[in-house]
Amino acid sequence: MPVASRVTSGIEGLDQILAGGLIEGASYIIQGQPGAGKTVLSNQIAFQHMIGGGRVLYVTLLSESHERLFQALDTMAYFERDRLGKEIIYVSVFQTLRDDGLPEVVKLLRGESQRQRATLLVFDGLLNARDGAATDFDVKSFVAEVQGQAAFVGCTVLFLTSSSANKISPEHTMVDGVIELTESLVGVRTVRYLQIRKSRGSRSLGGLHKFNITDEGVTVYPRLEILRGRCSGTDQPAAGKTRSGLPALDALLRGGLPRASVTLVGGPTGSGKTTLGLHFLSQSSAEEPGLHFGFFETPAKLRSKADTLGIRLPETGDHALTLGWRPLAGNILDELAYKLLDQVRSLGIKRVFIDGLGGFERAAVYPPRLPEFFSTLMDQLRMAGVTVLATWEMREMAGGEIRAPMSDISAILDNLILLRQFEENHQLLRSLSIQKVRDSDFDHATRSLTISERGLVIGNPLAAGTPPSLLQPVDG
Amino acid sequence: MALILVVDDEHLLAMLLADTLTDEGHEVVMASNGRAALERIRERRPAVVITDFMMPIMTGLEFAEAVHADAEIADIPIILLSGAQGSLARQRSELFFAVFDKPFDIQAFLIEVRNAIAQT
Repeated sequence: MPVASRVTSGIEGLDQILAGGLIEGASYIIQGQPGAGKTVLSNQIAFQHMIGGGRVLYVTLLSESHERLFQALDTMAYFERDRLGKEIIYVSVFQTLRDDGLPEVVKLLRGESQRQRATLLVFDGLLNARDGAATDFDVKSFVAEVQGQAAFVGCTVLFLTSSSANKISPEHTMVDGVIELTESLVGVRTVRYLQIRKSRGSRSLGGLHKFNITDEGVTVYPRLEILRGRCSGTDQPAAGKTRSGLPALDALLRGGLPRASVTLVGGPTGSGKTTLGLHFLSQSSAEEPGLHFGFFETPAKLRSKADTLGIRLPETGDHALTLGWRPLAGNILDELAYKLLDQVRSLGIKRVFIDGLGGFERAAVYPPRLPEFFSTLMDQLRMAGVTVLATWEMREMAGGEIRAPMSDISAILDNLILLRQFEENHQLLRSLSIQKVRDSDFDHATRSLTISERGLVIGNPLAAGTPPSLLQPVDG
Repeated sequence: MALILVVDDEHLLAMLLADTLTDEGHEVVMASNGRAALERIRERRPAVVITDFMMPIMTGLEFAEAVHADAEIADIPIILLSGAQGSLARQRSELFFAVFDKPFDIQAFLIEVRNAIAQT
């Protein structure tokens, strides 16, 4: 079977979901409720198609004026008003449909496609076409005729329709693909999803993928674990150790953190997790650039914290250290992962401090996917040779028994370090214990930990007789 | 009171223009593309033609060229309403009595319509 040639949608994430882009000469229905983003998406595809050298015929069957459409699109980075009327033309067939019916619309589209030498035809308002049709059969044959004549000249077709999401419309049987856009409320947040409901002759990435609309236009985020999960895993972990930034900790780890491994630092608020991360980042260098991927502290706050603790971070501007800050509000889980991976790739990052994994958890609309998500993300980082330190806020530490954070998540981490806080004789004490290290022996003792003006200081093992009851929970 | 032909594929805009011109006391005929407009002109000669640029079958520019190529109707003034192609049309200023970029001031537009009628 010959491989169908593809035409890019101009939207990277959508091309990935479509397994390489739209099929040239194929026809697609883009459906969704009003406001779902059909028009923004299809105009973006149209303009990208034009920028790539194609020619576009954009046909509307709506009562809304083109000028109103252009005014709305003016805010979009991709929209170039002065190119209208040449490689991309907008025509309305509203009157033709009303006065002469669907067969005349088909005829007009054929003529216009030829006149424009269109390689992409967008037909906005398939639902309205139904008003001009006596039966479902008429709509089906309309779709069949339009796509037939387009396919004949290798023109790709997008039919836009606002027909309701769950109804399978008869015309779905006629087209090669159906792209559905939905918008749903999760708590107080609006989340936009894109789903390929039908993809003939091509394997697409199934399920719901998030997208958002900004002034840059539509950005689609394929679910990380389904896009990247397939190409997962070097079985061969990188050899060697890397400095943690705390010589005393390196000694307990028998030489440092395993290179290209993932270390989880668990503990309650105030136990020293971020401080440990600052030590880790202090080892960043031009040869081994570091990245702070945090949700809480701004870069300025982080630097002043490091100064207070006597931890010397590389200066900004010499590419040794990048301080990223992602405020918690309204993040898209997959967007966070792609931003992180993009930064790692473009800056050649070898050392990442994620503060903390809870920021990803907060962005998750559907938490059950988190174990697969984290597993894929960490695999990607390991494959890029990155050593990761990530924090996890833990509150429940009752009875001195430490519960590993989300057991299925801890399984994908290589190393686990727990920081604890407890009171003894009305004194707040801290401890550090290494629970697990990939392919290496380590010191098993729980040791005292103090936060000083020189940062973290690891002390002696706690007395063997320290009763578990003294390991009291401290509310975060 | 004059006969005015409005050429626009966008029904809503065409209706809006027609209503405005009717309120001014004119009689309005409509066409949704250049070919239909040429037929209307030959049926009944209008005093002025108002046309859009981006339309099926022929552009407003091509339509104006067709009008000018026909000696019998070449002198009918044409006012172009354009989304973004105003500059294209202004390069061929001999074809148009006036060119307006959308969105435009309706009063200024009506003044030009009156001027065009006065000229004929």
